[in-house]
Amino acid sequence: MTAEIARYDLHNRRRSTLWYAVGIALYMLVIVALYPSFKNSSELNKLTEGNSPLAALFGATGTLTSPAGWVNVNAYANFLPLIMLLMTIGYGAGAIAGQNEDGTLGLLVVLPLGRQRILAGKTATMIVQALILVVTVAACVYLGRAFQVTLDPLHVATATLAVLLLGVDFGLIALALGAASGSRGTAIGISSALAALCYLISSLAPVVEWIHPLRYASLFYWAVGNQQLSDGAGPGSFVVLVAVAIAAAIGANIAFRRLDVR
Amino acid sequence: MTSAVETQALTKSFGATVAVDGLDLRVEPGQVFGFLGPNGAGKTTTIRLLLALHHPTAGSARVFGRDAFRDSVAIHARCGYLPGEFALHPRMTGGRVLEWFARARGGVDERLREQLVERFDVILDRQVRELSKGNRQKLGIVLAFMHRPELLILDEPTSGLDPLMQNEFQRLLRETIAEGRTVFLSSHELDEVQRVADRVAIIRAGRLVVTDTVRALRRRAPQTIELRFATPVAPAVFETVDGVQRVTAEGNRITLQTTGQLAQLLRVIADHDPLDVVARHADLDELFLTYYRPDGADDDR
Repeated sequence: MTAEIARYDLHNRRRSTLWYAVGIALYMLVIVALYPSFKNSSELNKLTEGNSPLAALFGATGTLTSPAGWVNVNAYANFLPLIMLLMTIGYGAGAIAGQNEDGTLGLLVVLPLGRQRILAGKTATMIVQALILVVTVAACVYLGRAFQVTLDPLHVATATLAVLLLGVDFGLIALALGAASGSRGTAIGISSALAALCYLISSLAPVVEWIHPLRYASLFYWAVGNQQLSDGAGPGSFVVLVAVAIAAAIGANIAFRRLDVR
Repeated sequence: MTSAVETQALTKSFGATVAVDGLDLRVEPGQVFGFLGPNGAGKTTTIRLLLALHHPTAGSARVFGRDAFRDSVAIHARCGYLPGEFALHPRMTGGRVLEWFARARGGVDERLREQLVERFDVILDRQVRELSKGNRQKLGIVLAFMHRPELLILDEPTSGLDPLMQNEFQRLLRETIAEGRTVFLSSHELDEVQRVADRVAIIRAGRLVVTDTVRALRRRAPQTIELRFATPVAPAVFETVDGVQRVTAEGNRITLQTTGQLAQLLRVIADHDPLDVVARHADLDELFLTYYRPDGADDDR
């Protein structure tokens, strides 16, 4: 029955999921294809010389002309999480609060499933959508070998999985906020603001001294802010990202149980 | 026998607004229970409480003798629901909607589903957003009935239906009751309810005003008597008679409404030598309007 809920939402979101995947694939293919033109550019590395906070703000730190540096600064540090969060926060806010505002949630809740199964179905939908996105990205990075973007496949896999978990974390936070407030707008607003704050902390931590100790509080640090693409995401990252996902899912479950559905 | 629906002091507040206030209801199995009230009276909130969509602020709701919220999964397996604001994903086709809900319920009798689709002429190949209000409502009727539920909770079910479909729907209700199933029918339209309901409850401002059989309510409804005299008669003559509620005079014609015994009234009428006496059947509409009005008959609660 949980699978039916997931099938329902996946079917109704199939177009947007497809276009997210097509869009990110095109972007990634352009990025890896451009690498040979930039890999010997000494000018590019000057951007991050002297630990420029402005460059850091766009996720640019360290060497940019290495394969890991190039893919990181153009995708993993900023664009990929942004697209991932657009998708998961958008879905998370819409899955309970949005459907309740549209008046379509009531018919699901009166099915003999129970709210917990409905929530499990929504969570599964979110994970499947995020999975489609990251598998597309990982495949494009792998195809980058044809353009001298040679990265350790295991490191790419763990870093990509960390991005997936980052998206699921914020998606579940949006889901929980939506179930608690009953408002899609509130859920999108608060979870986006939280994500932006986490991004700023993680991006500026390497170059701004007083922010540096705060980096552990940022989910971006655990997903993309600690050389995950060149060194692989470690067990610490997965522990934190999975723990937050579990906590947010529990919060969503409690809030959904209490929600007055239209 | 266990009631199909039973509420005790059921209360639901939204902040300072009390939507349902200490509601005591009892619906016996095998009957159509009409739940009437003006817009905003608390009908939809009550239904949402029965279906565990809303949490009660106080009191309890039981369906088939089980707690509406704690045992909601088991209850929902035996209920069919048509919401007043029936909404579906706009891009799903009618056919896909029916298929998906049937699967989510663990399967339904496909023959019954097809019969209902045919009977209500449901459009299956168009997206929900392309359907008119009436065609969406017909889809909702099939969704509510297709798993042959023991209890149907219907909120303004004929909204948007043409008269032919309304008749078909009433036939469906009668068949449902004949099979021993129960219908909780909420509406603000008396006509819709009195044609099919065995028993009705009227709710106003979240409170139960009256609950009784349609026959008993009809007995209580005011009777209208139209009189014509040779010369004008002062209305005050009738106003003092027991049971007379309203008297209007126009020339030598008098119209009055009464709920009391007729003997005394007829004697007073006879004293003035009427030329014509016309008594109309009990006017149930008028009775309900009395209950609907804010200054209505709370004494009869």
